[in-house]
Amino acid sequence: MLSCNASKDRKDGTLLYWSSNNGPEIEFTKYFVNQWNENNTTAIKFQPIPEGQSSEEVILASVVGKTTPDIYANMWQGSVEMYAKAGVLIPLDTLEGFTEFIKERCTEKVIEEITSSDGHIYQIPWKINPFMTIYNKRLVTDFGFTQLPNTYASYLEAGKAVKADKNNDGYVDQWVGNTSTRIIWYERLFNFYALYIAASDGASLIKNNKAAFNNEYAIGVFRFLQEIYRNEYFSIERLPAGQDMFLSEGIFTKWTGPWDITFVEKFKQRDDFEFGFFPMMVPENKKGPVYTYSDPKNMVIFNTCTQPQKAWEFIKTLIDKEGDKKLLEFTGQLPNRKNIETDSIFQEYFENNPKVKIFAKQANYIKGVDNSEYIIEVLDIISQEYEACVIYNKKTPEEAIRDAEKAVNVLLTGRKN
Amino acid sequence: MFKRKSIYKTPNKPKGWKKTMMPYLMVSPYIIHFIVFVAFPVLFSLVLTFHEWNIISPMKFKGFNNYIKMFNDRMFWKAIVNTLQFLVIHIPLQLIFALALAEFLNQKIRFKGFFRAAFFLPVIVSGVVVTMLWQQLFGFDTGLFNRILVSVGLDRVGWLVDPDIAMTSIAIMATWKNVGLYVILFLVGLQTVPAHYYEAASIEGASHWQKFRRITLPMINPTIFMVVILSTIGGFSLFIEPYIMTGGGPLNSTLSSVLYIYKQAFQYYHMGYSVTLGFFFAMLILAVVAIQKKYLETDI
Repeated sequence: MLSCNASKDRKDGTLLYWSSNNGPEIEFTKYFVNQWNENNTTAIKFQPIPEGQSSEEVILASVVGKTTPDIYANMWQGSVEMYAKAGVLIPLDTLEGFTEFIKERCTEKVIEEITSSDGHIYQIPWKINPFMTIYNKRLVTDFGFTQLPNTYASYLEAGKAVKADKNNDGYVDQWVGNTSTRIIWYERLFNFYALYIAASDGASLIKNNKAAFNNEYAIGVFRFLQEIYRNEYFSIERLPAGQDMFLSEGIFTKWTGPWDITFVEKFKQRDDFEFGFFPMMVPENKKGPVYTYSDPKNMVIFNTCTQPQKAWEFIKTLIDKEGDKKLLEFTGQLPNRKNIETDSIFQEYFENNPKVKIFAKQANYIKGVDNSEYIIEVLDIISQEYEACVIYNKKTPEEAIRDAEKAVNVLLTGRKN
Repeated sequence: MFKRKSIYKTPNKPKGWKKTMMPYLMVSPYIIHFIVFVAFPVLFSLVLTFHEWNIISPMKFKGFNNYIKMFNDRMFWKAIVNTLQFLVIHIPLQLIFALALAEFLNQKIRFKGFFRAAFFLPVIVSGVVVTMLWQQLFGFDTGLFNRILVSVGLDRVGWLVDPDIAMTSIAIMATWKNVGLYVILFLVGLQTVPAHYYEAASIEGASHWQKFRRITLPMINPTIFMVVILSTIGGFSLFIEPYIMTGGGPLNSTLSSVLYIYKQAFQYYHMGYSVTLGFFFAMLILAVVAIQKKYLETDI
């Protein structure tokens, strides 16, 4: 029904905008849509993305049914290349004013990252959620650490110190941290990949259509995580949804994004529960700033849009400096904009929300994902080896990474033909 | 000759094209349903097996590539072995428990209605809900089963995290979920056995076990056959349990064939390849059921 309405709207020149369906983003979108509709003849109609098992599934269904909106906000960067190759997206660099605007807003690195293999740009970098380590401040006060465990060795030490059997049943029930053991591809973005980027200053997984991760960094990450599980510093159990061990103080750290600031504040079980953030762990010899995975969500214009230039004009209002400020205020999410940490327009917000500023500082050192239409399969292959090596200790890190490299190369060579 | 006029009015018979078309019109709802929901999808799928297609790009003809890939795909064969492993555990468990419970519920016991409803309840509860509940029970560190084991001084069991045990855990859960349906089927079967057979056997001095072995089992053979067939087909469709509980892990030990086909289709969008796997898998189920029919079904 929503899709039928979508086609009807397009006939009268109205542009349809799909936002994500979380409350703050709906409010943010409403604000800008109302503002636009008051001052423009081309109306924008907005609706949250229709319900489905996942937003990816809904978008795919709408592409197949040719009922896509004109603009979709919140597309994971890794999904864009597949749609671009299928020819269902507008090459945005063909629109007037796009290139200049994006160069002013984003770093060269980000622009390089979003440029498709055909040289065009099909996505507008919108927002990021850089991954960092959240920690319970008891980690420092109760376990006698003088500094945060931000290297592999110090984190393993913290693991040893925190690991405990509090109810004396002979089994560990307190750990230093936890991360998903599910083998589904996207879970690797939040543990292996974030650590890999941190260790390698943002190295790629794929380069020139070949696996590029058989290196000391990936092997080091596998070894680090393997040590963690081998020593029971993390639980192997797959935690059911709704159970947060960080809040119940069963674990003292985890890798997460800025959304946890509001979440932990809201649901903490003690008033004196204090927490902070530090970057992803790195090898001991690593010098300089620490990079991380940014979990980028971007905007696209579908080729069913009859007025792409108008759509772009509207998008510009959402992502100019004022728009980005509103994004922060409405949603607490960081815009994918250069110098966000130092730009004066955001300072008032950061003064009132000092924990978000930590992420803004981290935003200077981020990476999304490689622009490949096979990125999901690549991550899935890595995930299989991750499970065999890291969780079950069936392979050495060298073997696991080598096998993953081989499988990825077979995949990429097969698809090229 | 006097011709008597009928007092009954003969209904107007359809003539010409109406006469020819009427039967087709009457069956047309089924024909349309068959074409739209059966024939077209099957034929389209068959065509797809020779193509590469990611849903959004045009199809590319690839000849027999998907079939060649399937025979070389070690993961698919592992998924088939996993599924067969599940069936080997699940079907006997299902049969034994369903028959034992049906026999129990067929006796003159109090609260018979309550027990029948209680055993059937898991069948009508959503598979997703049941699976999530069992996932909590099977938890390694926090699950109820392991807490009980530890409290009585036993070691924890890696119900869902030990690759050697995970499929058995899933089979136990699936048996619990489905046993109620088969209890009902067996109850129907047991109640059709004529009472005088048992009376005659009692007069001859037959024991309970002899009566069960020589009268009950042969008489309910059609029900046993049906339960085996339904369990087999249901078991081959194993999906929700590994999808939610383990995602196919640990180390792909619970990756069922349907889960693998689903991943190919909706995770990687390899529609042509997933349909090829689906076709092959349907043929495999057909073959297994045919073998079961040959060896299990006997005339009463």
